[in-house]
Amino acid sequence: MKTAAELKEGEKGIINKVDFKNPCSKRILEFGFTPGKEIELVNESVFRDPITFSVRGTLIAIRKNEARSIILS
Amino acid sequence: MNTNNSGSIPFIVLVGAPNSGKTTLFNYLSGKNYKTVNYPGSTVEYHTSKISEKYNFNAMILDSPGIISLVPSSPDEQVAINSLYEHPKYGKPDLVVLTVDASQISRHLLLAKELKDAGFRIVIALTMLDILKKKNLQIDYEKLSDLLGCKVAPVNGQTGEGIYELIQILKNEMLSEPVNTNGTDGILVKDSYKKYLIKTYNDIEKIEDEVLIPVVDKKSLEKANSQLKVLNNELKNKLEAPDSYTLKIDRILLHKTWGLIIFFFIMAFTFTSIFYLAVPIMELVSQFFGLLSQGAIDLLGNGWFGNLIANGIIGGTGAVLVFIPQIFILFLILGFLEDTGYLARGAMLVDRPLSKLGLNGRSFVPMLSGFACAIPAIMAARTIRSRKERMLTIFIIPLMSCSARLPVYTLIIALLMPEDKLWLGGIALASIYLFSILSAVIVAGIVNKFSKTLIREKSHSSFILELPTYRKPKLKVILNNAYVNSKMYLIKAGTVILVLSIILWFITFFPNTNPKVDTTGLSKNQAETLINSERLENSYSAMLGHVIQPIMTPIGMDWRVGVSLISAFAAREVFVSSLALIFKVTGSDGTLQNSLLKAMRRATIEKTGKKLFTFATSLGIIIFFIFALQCISTLAISRQETGSWRIPMLQLFIYTSIAYILTFITVNGLRAFGIQ
Ligand SMILES: Nc1nc2c(ncn2[C@@H]2O[C@H](COP(=O)(O)OP(=O)(O)OP(=O)(O)O)[C@@H](O)[C@H]2O)c(=O)[nH]1
Ligand SMILES: [Mg+2]
Repeated sequence: MKTAAELKEGEKGIINKVDFKNPCSKRILEFGFTPGKEIELVNESVFRDPITFSVRGTLIAIRKNEARSIILS
Repeated sequence: MNTNNSGSIPFIVLVGAPNSGKTTLFNYLSGKNYKTVNYPGSTVEYHTSKISEKYNFNAMILDSPGIISLVPSSPDEQVAINSLYEHPKYGKPDLVVLTVDASQISRHLLLAKELKDAGFRIVIALTMLDILKKKNLQIDYEKLSDLLGCKVAPVNGQTGEGIYELIQILKNEMLSEPVNTNGTDGILVKDSYKKYLIKTYNDIEKIEDEVLIPVVDKKSLEKANSQLKVLNNELKNKLEAPDSYTLKIDRILLHKTWGLIIFFFIMAFTFTSIFYLAVPIMELVSQFFGLLSQGAIDLLGNGWFGNLIANGIIGGTGAVLVFIPQIFILFLILGFLEDTGYLARGAMLVDRPLSKLGLNGRSFVPMLSGFACAIPAIMAARTIRSRKERMLTIFIIPLMSCSARLPVYTLIIALLMPEDKLWLGGIALASIYLFSILSAVIVAGIVNKFSKTLIREKSHSSFILELPTYRKPKLKVILNNAYVNSKMYLIKAGTVILVLSIILWFITFFPNTNPKVDTTGLSKNQAETLINSERLENSYSAMLGHVIQPIMTPIGMDWRVGVSLISAFAAREVFVSSLALIFKVTGSDGTLQNSLLKAMRRATIEKTGKKLFTFATSLGIIIFFIFALQCISTLAISRQETGSWRIPMLQLFIYTSIAYILTFITVNGLRAFGIQ
């Protein structure tokens, strides 16, 4: 089971589901990380955390810890 | 939804996702000038205004902080939600105007759906169409309006195009009977909400497919029609790809090694240029006040009245007004940074190190705006979700070197720098800023260690931030913002500082206005100096000063600095005014500031005959100002934002004690090493 946190820079993935148990899952869904969507890890930044994803035409920076709740198919 | 303030004028609430152009639209509608910058979370409090008279529409409009959904995650979002459901003054809104960034409809329609589902009457204002157009796309407004079941009005945030049409729609909506929508606030029940989100996003994707159409000239229209299917997929890909320039710039600015270096370079540039760019202009302003003050003495004579005008009013407030260029440049640079879209990147870069200290990447923007003023900075902390991190951010914001300290630092730096090495000043100022940031970091670390007793909060830490598209900063907006802030500084100088200057003048001039001194054999200038100092020695301020002398002696200063330090608790800049008054500065040495510097260099401590402003004591004054919490408004806002007096009182006590103790150590430590 691969999560969004394991993507490499420039790698794409399709969201399978979002782990509802993560306290941030609501926010993550609200930002548009919904099942079926393709996301790309566009930037790892200086400390490799937070990381930037491209989703629905926008760049969203989230911590690795939160990205782990985005499960890819 | 029923409206419950029928009878009074219509109440319209403006909501939308962060950075979608609400405040820009609000400014057009109201004729006001609130700050609009390229950072999600620039508005943290609601503002209301009547719609500008030129539209001939009598209604109240409210601008709110950005929200992503109707379920708030942070205090700024709570503010927006509150004004949607029940505004304390205006009740429930009659109409909701939702700004939707057309280049991001896929995300921004979520709120439209939620508002509809919750039964609000909405009108959509589509913004950022120019950006969508650059991707060769446009939106079928009619279709969007049909699919959503609400009116859609395109507006251009750059030119104001479409505002009249929007007003017309609002007027019509207000005339028509509210349709009975059977909305249920129940959609937001906790467990099913996440499922609701997934379903709603699915619906939105279908809408998106239908309303997005390519921008085509007539020639290729036919061709496009026949290839519609193919184009559609291509279109979607185009929309789903973030701005290509932004991606390129980010590759540099967020680069693994360069990113941090560039970040420090940008910060260093910001702080040094405040000094270098401002100095030449300040010189001119200072010259002007010098002339004015000298002119007043020549014209009105050296009696009490002439003295009040020349020294009390022109000298006292002029000493502060000299810094207007610096304040202007500070706001210009901060505004520039804000409007490019870099700040969100800055927040992301520092999230990791800050989280180690119990802070958050989101603390970065409030901390940075603390360099302008602690009050909006403390309010900006509302965008931080975790209460503990928010409290800690508020706790350390008073340590950020606000613009009111700038006059003090610049004066002391000018005092210490040799005339021929003025360029060192910028570096000195940047070092003070760096030192204050370091201190804030250390204090945050320590307070975080004791957070159980000091902050008394625990909450989940997270960081999710949208990185806005880079834009060419709008010079007009930035200039306007800098102008508004400089005007506030001017007003402060014209009110609080003016009044304080007059009071200070009074207590330094009375009661012994005409001291009897033997002036035989002295030149006119010498006689005047003697009279002035004799008068000051017997003034009310000296009496007050002698009471606090015991506190000042240990830190190497005398009662004159003491009186200035105490008056700085009303407003930090008053420290400079106060010195100008005590040393009876007029423009006799060219510029106002030069006269003050000369007088300060000459000053000696009466009992010992030693110099008053030595390297050690001057550095001591800087240290004192870095730490001391000398701002009553900061305490008040900290009380408001933390919900009790506990944190503001801790701040006052801790910071002022640290200030005194560290000044003591600095002055005496340097002396122990033989540095006076
Ligand atoms: N290109 C373009 N830029 C716009 C338009 N409308 C607003 N902007 C810019 O978008 C940025 C954000 O605008 P604001 O009005 O501050 O947005 P807001 O919705 O109030 O943002 P928050 O208060 O942070 O929620 C600013 O830099 C505006 O100048 C538009 O129609 N086109
Ligand atoms: Mg705003």
